[in-house]
Amino acid sequence: MKGGFRIQKAQKLYWENGFSFDFASPKILDSRIHFGVSYVTSRLGSAMGSTAIKQDNYLFSAGYHFYHQKQFQPFTRLNAGYFHADYEAAIFDVLPNNAFLFSIDAGLSYEFRIPLTVSLSAGYNLNSGSGTSGPGTLYPFYYQMSIFYTIFK
Amino acid sequence: MTTKNKFFSLLAVLLVVLSACSKTPDIDNATMLDGDIIFDPSLYNPELYLVSVAITNPNEIQKNTPVIIAVHGYDATTFEWDEFRTYCNAKANILVSQVLLGGHGRTYEEFKNSTWEDWQEPILTEYNALRAKGYTNINFAGSSTACPLVMDLIKKGKIGDNGMKHIFMIDPIVIPSDKLLTIIGLVGPMMGYLETTMTAAEEGHWYHFRPQETLKQLLNLTEKSRKDLQKGYNLPSGIRMKVYKSIKDPTADAVSAVLIYKGLKNNDGSSIDIEMIDSELHVITRLNGRDNITQHDRDIQTHVFDDMYRILMQ
Repeated sequence: MKGGFRIQKAQKLYWENGFSFDFASPKILDSRIHFGVSYVTSRLGSAMGSTAIKQDNYLFSAGYHFYHQKQFQPFTRLNAGYFHADYEAAIFDVLPNNAFLFSIDAGLSYEFRIPLTVSLSAGYNLNSGSGTSGPGTLYPFYYQMSIFYTIFK
Repeated sequence: MTTKNKFFSLLAVLLVVLSACSKTPDIDNATMLDGDIIFDPSLYNPELYLVSVAITNPNEIQKNTPVIIAVHGYDATTFEWDEFRTYCNAKANILVSQVLLGGHGRTYEEFKNSTWEDWQEPILTEYNALRAKGYTNINFAGSSTACPLVMDLIKKGKIGDNGMKHIFMIDPIVIPSDKLLTIIGLVGPMMGYLETTMTAAEEGHWYHFRPQETLKQLLNLTEKSRKDLQKGYNLPSGIRMKVYKSIKDPTADAVSAVLIYKGLKNNDGSSIDIEMIDSELHVITRLNGRDNITQHDRDIQTHVFDDMYRILMQ
């Protein structure tokens, strides 16, 4: 079980940062499968001290780690969750500001000899805003870095 | 397959991709704006489009008449504001200056080689020319890409402190609806250009092919506009702004209005006026040339023109 913080950047949009937890067990495919829960928000990123839209991403994920016994592990992951943007003024109530999230990402994870893991990945949101549907600040491409501390083994 | 064969296969694929990059669109000169026959009419007869050229020595009445500098969007021409000119001509107490953006209304190559700063230049030129002639009631009406261009001029302090009254924005773009624009820097060189679909009546007034270089410029402009709004700034004193935004806009995401509302305030810190419009069109004030126009679309156009007129006459 690992917990830590996550830094996320949408391509040509906001920094959205937050928290992430990662769980894997030797009983489940020999720790090849990782489950995760995360929350990232522009409130802890671009919207701090600016007029950027405050938006929240709640995600569950399931990933597959290759070379799971090694320190250096490529991985791929499916994510599902919920997106909410706060437009703050009633006049914008006519616009969509909530969406289900469904994304895929892939990247690399490195487990240090100390109880620290760093993972980098790039992802794609399958249901980003299109102007005629979906929240306009839900962008398709994103990059993220997570730094985990191993809480227990 | 041997390593050598794989290498040559990869090389062949690379050559195909590179040759695709260098290909130019198949332009029909007879019908397309992109060619070297059809140009925007304001280039031939600027006196019919620009107030600064039409009236050499304005009298006192003309100097105090509201002048609207009407500016079109990306890849469009002065055609986009023709219906507003017709509306104002009927009112007879408003002057309309239809500005053609730099790089627009000319050949594909000229458009391809233009930057967003080039697009912006004629707006400032007309504004300064009107000021130099003594006009005291200058206003802006911009559609789509014209809006970030004008907002940039405000941010830089190049317009607004003298003789500017109202700014109207129709479907401003800060966030594009097509989010694939965010990776144009990566995929653009492979595509070369994007072909657009338009009606026969629109052909000749919009570019049929969008060079990837100009899409990158559009992305740079909207990105700058978003970041400026994120930091926040105010309108110069004495200027009021109103934004009209279609809520299901296939080109300029409606959330653009949210960003403008949050980031750009009146000089006293109060909020600017925004009206969200129940429409699925981009640039709700331009109906000419479109297929399948409804009475609802016509009502919206009339409502917006009437509202702009009412504000100008206040």
